Amino acid sequence: MIRTIAMLLALTATPAAAQTIAVTHAEAWTMESGEPVKDATIVIENGKIVSVTPGGGVPEGVRVIDARGKPVTPGLMNGATQVGLIETASADTRDQGSADERNAGFDPSRALNGNSTLVSLIRADGITRALIYPSPSRIPVFAGEPAIARFREGVDILGEREVAVYAVIGGGAWDRVGSRAQQWAVLRKALGDAKRAMAARDAGDGKKRDHRGPPPGRGRRAGEELIRGVIVGETPLAIHTNRESDIREAIRLASEFGIRVIIVEGAQAWRAAEQLAAAKIPVVLDPSTNLPGGFDELGARQDNAAILTRAGVKVAFGLAGGRIHSNYNAGMALREGAGIAVANGLSYAEALRAVTVNPLSIWSKGGGTLTAGADADLVVWDGDPLEPSTNVTAVIIEGRQLSARSRQDLLAERYKDVR
Amino acid sequence: MGVRFGSAIAAVALLAAPGAAQVRPAPWQEDPFPSRYRPAPPDDMLLRGATVLDGAGGRIEGGDVLVRGGKIVAVGKALANPGVREVDAKGRWVTPGVIDVHTHNGTFVVPLTDIDREASDVAEVSSPNGADTWIETAVNPQDMGFDRGLMNGVTTMQILPGSTPIFAGRSVVVKPVRGATVWDMKVSGNAQGFKMACGENPKSWGADDDNEGPTSRQGVIAYMRQAFLDAQAYGRERAAGKMGRDLKKEALLGIIAGDIRVNLHCYRANDIASVLAVAKEFGFRIGAIHHATEAYKIPGLLRESGTCAAVWADWWGFKIEAQDAVRAEAPLLERAGVCVMMHSDSAADGQRLNITAAKAAAAGRRIGIETPPETMIKWTTSNPAKLLGLAGRVGTLKAGYQADLVLWSGDPFSIYTKADLVLIDGAVAWDRSKPPAAPVSDFELGRGGVR
Repeated sequence: MIRTIAMLLALTATPAAAQTIAVTHAEAWTMESGEPVKDATIVIENGKIVSVTPGGGVPEGVRVIDARGKPVTPGLMNGATQVGLIETASADTRDQGSADERNAGFDPSRALNGNSTLVSLIRADGITRALIYPSPSRIPVFAGEPAIARFREGVDILGEREVAVYAVIGGGAWDRVGSRAQQWAVLRKALGDAKRAMAARDAGDGKKRDHRGPPPGRGRRAGEELIRGVIVGETPLAIHTNRESDIREAIRLASEFGIRVIIVEGAQAWRAAEQLAAAKIPVVLDPSTNLPGGFDELGARQDNAAILTRAGVKVAFGLAGGRIHSNYNAGMALREGAGIAVANGLSYAEALRAVTVNPLSIWSKGGGTLTAGADADLVVWDGDPLEPSTNVTAVIIEGRQLSARSRQDLLAERYKDVR
Repeated sequence: MGVRFGSAIAAVALLAAPGAAQVRPAPWQEDPFPSRYRPAPPDDMLLRGATVLDGAGGRIEGGDVLVRGGKIVAVGKALANPGVREVDAKGRWVTPGVIDVHTHNGTFVVPLTDIDREASDVAEVSSPNGADTWIETAVNPQDMGFDRGLMNGVTTMQILPGSTPIFAGRSVVVKPVRGATVWDMKVSGNAQGFKMACGENPKSWGADDDNEGPTSRQGVIAYMRQAFLDAQAYGRERAAGKMGRDLKKEALLGIIAGDIRVNLHCYRANDIASVLAVAKEFGFRIGAIHHATEAYKIPGLLRESGTCAAVWADWWGFKIEAQDAVRAEAPLLERAGVCVMMHSDSAADGQRLNITAAKAAAAGRRIGIETPPETMIKWTTSNPAKLLGLAGRVGTLKAGYQADLVLWSGDPFSIYTKADLVLIDGAVAWDRSKPPAAPVSDFELGRGGVR
C-alpha cells in the first residue's frame, strides 16, 4: 500500500509530459568526445537526462528501454527545413512565406502544425528538432524570422520563435529588386537605418538603452524591430546565399556592422573557407548536393562540409536532398546527407555534430548532447544513424517516449498481406 | 539505314501488300536516328576475391569475375588467370552496373535557366499527343547528370520524355560515356521505349485555359482509348493503301503490335488499373508503371498483366496523388511476385539507386519483410534490364554478358561505399583512383567557381 502510494506520488509529481526512463546497454554518443560510451545506462527524469553511466544500474520502477548495444544519439536536428509549414502541393496547405506587400517580416511559428503527416515521419526518422525557415517574401531581401520546431506529440511543436532575421540574396525568380547589387544595398540600408535610429535615440535622452526590450511589437515588422537585435549582436542575421561573390560580401557585411551572420545553403562556401573561419561565420548546408540547380550553385560539391570543417568553420546540415526531400523526407535526407559528407572526407564525429550540437549552437543557445542536465531528446537506433538502411527503434522527446511509426508504416502494415 | 526493333510479324500482317515477296519492317520499327556508339578498347581484367552479387539473385563470397574483350568470361571462385591484369578485390563488392530506367538527363539540364522555364525540352506539350517525338533529338550530352551517374556506378540510363502529354513519345537508352551527340552514347538492339502518362500531370495541363487536352482523369483515359481506336482505323486504311504516313498513329500502332514498350507514369491504384484495362482492351502489355506509388495495393493486377513497377523508395507527399506512397513498396511488391525496380526521375537521386533500395528494404524490415542484398540488387540491375529489353546482355554477371559492372569499395547498400571502378562494355569508364584532370562535361570546363 505504501509502495503504491509512493508510486502514485511519483507519477503525479511528474509533469504529464515527462516519464522516468532508463535506456540500457546503449552505445551512447554523448557528443562530448569523438567516441561513444559503450554499454551506457542513460537515466531520464522530468524531461532531462539525469546520468549517462557505463554499465550503470537501473533505478527501481522505471521504464526500461534496452538498446541492445546499438547506437543512442541525441535527437537529431535539421538545420533548415519547412516541416510543419507544408502538407502537400496544394497552396491551401502551404504556409512557407509572406505575400504581404505592405509589411516586412513573417513569423512562421504562428502557422506550425504538429498534426502534419510530415511531422510524424520526421520523428520516425529520428529528428527531434528543426530550424523552420521562411521562404522569400514580397519585401526583399527579408524573408522573415525562422523558428525552431520541437517535434513533441500534439499540435504545438513550437520550440523557439524569432531565432534570427532571415535574408535571401542571389539570382532567382523571387528577386524583385532586379540585381543582387540592389539586394545588398537594401540589406545595408536596413542595417544602417536601424543603427542610426538607435544611435539617435541613445543620443536624444543621453543614456544607453537595453535594446533587448521590451520591444514593442517585436517580430511583427522584422525588418525594423528585430533587426535592432541584429545590430546589438543578440540576434543573428541568416543570409541564404550560394555564390562566392555573395558569401564574401556577407563576410564584409558582418565585419562592417559587427554583427553575427549565418550562411545558409552556401554551395560555393568551400571557396571562402578560410575567410569564413576567420570571421567565425557558420554555414548551414546541404551535404548531398553536387549538381547546381542554378548558376549561383556552380561547383556544388559533396566535400563542402569537409573543406569548411577542416578550415575551422562550424557546419550544420539542412536543406538536405533538395526540392522534394528537404521537406518530405527531412529526416531521412538529413541522415543520408550526413553519411554522404562522411563518404566525402568529413569525420564521423563531425558529421554527427553537424546534426546535433552544431545546429543548436548556430540557431539557439547550445544543447544537443547526452549529458547530465541536458534536454532528454534522444533516439535509439538499430544501426548506424547515418546509414539510410537504419531504423529508429525508440524516440524520446522532452523525456517522453513517442511513437516512431509514421502513416507510411500504417499503410504498409494494412496492405502487407495483399497479393 | 534503318535499325529494326523486335518482330516484323505484325508489320507483315498489317502492311504487306498482296504478293509482296519480302518482309519489310513496319514503319514504327525504323530507327531514323541510329546509334553511333562504339565500345572503348577493352580493359581485360580479373577481379579477385570480392563479394559478388550477380544481379540475378546469386551471391558468392570470395568470388572472381573475369572480363575479356568487352564480355564477362567467367564468374566463380578461384578462376584461372589467362594472363590479364588482376585486381585485388578482397573486402570489396562486385555487381552489375546500375540501370536507371527513368531519367530526364540531357533535357532537364542543370543549371536551369529562363529558357528551361519558358520552353523546356522535357516534353513536347503543344498537344496531349506527342507520340511522334523522339526525346533523343533534344538531349544535351554535356549534362553533368551523365557523369555524376557514371561516377556512382550507373552504366545504362533510359531517358524518357516528361509526363505532361498523355502520349509523350519515344525514349532513348544510353551509356553515360562522353560524346558530342546522344548517338555516340545510344544503345541499340533494346526494346524501343515509349512514355505515357495518366493522372494529375496531363489533366492539370489540359485544365489550363491556354492548353489543349482533357481536364480530368476520366478524360485522360477516354483520350487514350480514342487515340488507339483512331490508330487502328488508320492502320486498316494504310494497309489498304489509302493513307500516307502519320508518325503519331504509327507509334500507337507499334504499341498495339507489341514492338514499342510503354513506360506509364501513374501513381494511384485506380489510375494504374484503368490503364491496365485499356492495354487489355487493345491487346498490348505495358512494360512498367513508373512511380506507381500505390502499386502495393494492387500487386495481383500487375503480376497478372506481366507489368513491372519502377518505383522510388521515399518520394511522397509532393503531389496529391502521391499521398499514399510507402517506403516499403519495393519489398511488398517483391514478396507479391511483381517485377520491381528502383528508378530515379532525378539526376541527384539517380546517383544512389542502391541506397534507394536500402531505404526500401529497411522499411520492409519495419513490417517484418527481410530482403537480402542479393535480392535488392535485382531492383537496380537485372529487373530494369528486362524492362529495357536488354536481358541476356546486361544487368547480370554471367558468362557471355556485356561487361557492364562495378567494383564497389564495400557494401553497395552502404552510404559510405563508392564506385572504385566502373566498366562499360569491358572498358574502364570510371576509375576513382585516377580522377580526370579536367571536368568530364564540356559545360564545366574552364568555368570559374567550379573547381
